[in-house]
Amino acid sequence: MASVLRQVLNFAPRVLLRPLVPKSPVTAALATQQFRLKTTDAAPAPETRPTVRKSDTAARTQLIDFGKYVAECLPKFVQKVQFTAGDELEVLVVPEGVVPVLQFLKDHHSAQFVNLVDIAGVDVPSRQYRFEIVYNLLSLRYNSRIRVKTYTDELTPIDSANDVFKAANWYEREIWDMYGVFFANHPDLRRILTDYGFEGHPFRKDFPLSGFVEVRYDDEKKRVVCEPLELAQEFRKFELSSPWEQFPNFRGPPASEEIPTQEKK
Amino acid sequence: MASGAGRKLTTNLTGLAVAKNPHHTLSVLYNKIQRALLQMPEQSAYRKHTSEIISTRSKLVSETKDVAQLEQKINCGQIEEVIVQAENELVLARKMLGWKPWESLLREAPKNQWQWPPTK
Repeated sequence: MASVLRQVLNFAPRVLLRPLVPKSPVTAALATQQFRLKTTDAAPAPETRPTVRKSDTAARTQLIDFGKYVAECLPKFVQKVQFTAGDELEVLVVPEGVVPVLQFLKDHHSAQFVNLVDIAGVDVPSRQYRFEIVYNLLSLRYNSRIRVKTYTDELTPIDSANDVFKAANWYEREIWDMYGVFFANHPDLRRILTDYGFEGHPFRKDFPLSGFVEVRYDDEKKRVVCEPLELAQEFRKFELSSPWEQFPNFRGPPASEEIPTQEKK
Repeated sequence: MASGAGRKLTTNLTGLAVAKNPHHTLSVLYNKIQRALLQMPEQSAYRKHTSEIISTRSKLVSETKDVAQLEQKINCGQIEEVIVQAENELVLARKMLGWKPWESLLREAPKNQWQWPPTK
């Protein structure tokens, strides 16, 4: 509304002046040029659009410093420190270092990440260690978030974070249920989301979309029966790839940006 | 008993009682942390940074007698929260002695482990 009013105010003197200006094509062109110069801004102004997130440089430098600090204090466990999505700090650690790093981030005076927000998993079958385990932490004291990532495969157990964060109990059961990652020293590692007697781990990439079994009501036996899945139609392969590049906008910047730590210099 | 006039009745935080003698508790905790830190190697970054934090705080504790002023100077929450932080740091420092995080990196990540998107 305010911008509309401003435009009206900008135009008003011009409308009033126009009868006074001699009517030649040159002045008319000049007038339009002035109008152009006035309305387009050449210099990249600071982001003011309400729908676009502004970048906070102060918070960013603080996070960079903190990432270097963590890597300096725990050089045995931290492999890499990086930014993703512009301003999200990630600490990538060796699998043995999960508990020490989480304990450090929780209990150290200048970290105090006392809330475990979530534990997530990622499955990339082409890698040597196919599973990534992601710990999201929150520090209410310093109003800051951090992410700790590590890796494992189907057979290698990861130390349970239950001794550090009580919240890890159910989250680790979820990861065990969905991906089949084993957590050593977990007090109660059972399935949590799937049904009793369920087989397989549904979030693995090699788990079929339809599952292995189907459940139906049998009228003769008067009960629900569980049978191996039979598909009415053969599986068909569709050729979906296109010769054109689909998302050229996502070609440019890399997904993450490494923060150089001291021992790598 | 401390002077009754300015005494705090509650911390307004569930499960966190008002500390009876915060100066004594804090100095004991800080001494214990410093003793644990002394067993770490000199060049360890964790030891360096933590002992710096602890010595500034213990200096403030010994200088300032008034609890409200002390809270303001430390600027990390109420004095009861500062005590909890010191307890956590003590537990961490003692565990660090077993973990030895100042040693060199256990192993590098396998190639392409942290690459995203995974195929390119």
